Amino acid sequence: MARESELGMLVATIRATTLAAALWAAASARAQPVEAEHVAVELIAERTALVPGRTTWVGLRLRHDPHWHTYWINPGDSGLETRLKWTLPAGYAAGAIAWPAPRRLAAGELTNFGYVDETVLPVPIQVPADAAPAKSARLSVAASWLVCEDICIPGKAKLELTLPVQRESAPDARWQALFAQARAALPVESGWQGEARIQGTEVEIELAGAGLPASDDLDLFPVQGQMLESARPEFERRGDRLVARARKSIYFASAPGRLDLVLTRAEGDTLRAWRASVPLILAGPDPASH
Amino acid sequence: MKATLPLCTALLAALAFTAPLLAAPASVGTPAPEFSATDSKGQKHSLSEFKGKTVVLEWNNPECPFVKKHYGAGNMQKQQAGATSAGVVWLTVNSGAKGKQGYMDGPAADAFVQKAGAKPTAYLLDADGAVGKAYGARTTPHMYVIDGQGTLRYAGGIDSVPSSDPDDIKGATQYVNQALTELSAGKPVSVSTSQPYGCSVKYGS
Repeated sequence: MARESELGMLVATIRATTLAAALWAAASARAQPVEAEHVAVELIAERTALVPGRTTWVGLRLRHDPHWHTYWINPGDSGLETRLKWTLPAGYAAGAIAWPAPRRLAAGELTNFGYVDETVLPVPIQVPADAAPAKSARLSVAASWLVCEDICIPGKAKLELTLPVQRESAPDARWQALFAQARAALPVESGWQGEARIQGTEVEIELAGAGLPASDDLDLFPVQGQMLESARPEFERRGDRLVARARKSIYFASAPGRLDLVLTRAEGDTLRAWRASVPLILAGPDPASH
Repeated sequence: MKATLPLCTALLAALAFTAPLLAAPASVGTPAPEFSATDSKGQKHSLSEFKGKTVVLEWNNPECPFVKKHYGAGNMQKQQAGATSAGVVWLTVNSGAKGKQGYMDGPAADAFVQKAGAKPTAYLLDADGAVGKAYGARTTPHMYVIDGQGTLRYAGGIDSVPSSDPDDIKGATQYVNQALTELSAGKPVSVSTSQPYGCSVKYGS
């Protein structure tokens, strides 16, 4: 009986090993998504392999339950941005999240900036020039996020993705649309000049330069907290300049400094996004107050 | 200009209760808004009854993960005990509307206080959101420190590290503690404003 049982265990072990090998093969192409509360998270790569000396884009794929959201780098009036902490093989380096332009999300009288439905937060991974082809590399990330509807639930997961190191790579067909969507929403460097003038409780942001959009269907998001109130600013064209008027954050603590901002414009079904950085200047009392 | 000022102030006071709460938040260095609210034991409290004492306001929703972070680690209770034993009045305020997360009636609030080992002077029930909106409270927790003259001296987060992870408490500057220590030493409050972090206050309408 004992022998039979041992044999049974051996067969089970072999089966498990075969299964593990099959799973590993699948995992090398695609890490398993983690079904967390109200959001499924997964580490994905834009291409099928890591190429020595090149930058590869990976991303945290977020699939939110309907009506649930996670947050942008500046979460707005409440909430918390999604955070990634990487563990990579020696010589590999992860860049910061390339944040796609966020959605404006109303939470009662408060406003948040974040993402709904399906999105990916792209991250560049620099592969060292001396990475040995024919081997594979395991990319590991500890992700933490806050997912909210009306109520909020913090979540975290350790995600791994093992990719082959090869001299050439090909686009991974499964994720092209998702990366393309994220890339389209990445703010492009505008090169615009201007300044943000604090006048009492108002902040007037003036931008000038090539390719400024018309003043309709615009939105603006401050990258830093404690700068602007989260309500949508008002926009107008003043000659060749674009002016956005916002309220100063009630938590505003210091000036001068710089204000980094993301400007977006809805153009049909697509959203265009630009980034700009302007000096923040104390310009005097609020013209509307006394 | 001077003649219009009282009218303007009255208008602003009225607006605080009708306009979006972002319109007229309490701002540091100015008189803290007067309020009247009933505590978990049915006792009425107003800010003016504590004249001469330093008052801390703490916005609370026991089910919010950020509130749980600070209560679960004992950080909030420790600060409450320290402050109240030094003669500070600590008012925990719940502006969650009926039906929303964290809403509590008096007995439920008392049970929370007892179970958590919390040490506030009183737990105020603000289900209509009047106190919360007068102060522009946005998150739980959201903290305010008012000096004995009724001037708002601190408004913002409980500490300097926005996260829901209790492990971050030890490395964070506890802004309320710091403000209370500085005030009692007659010093200016070095950080008088910070961005609060947490869940949104679950106001009704």
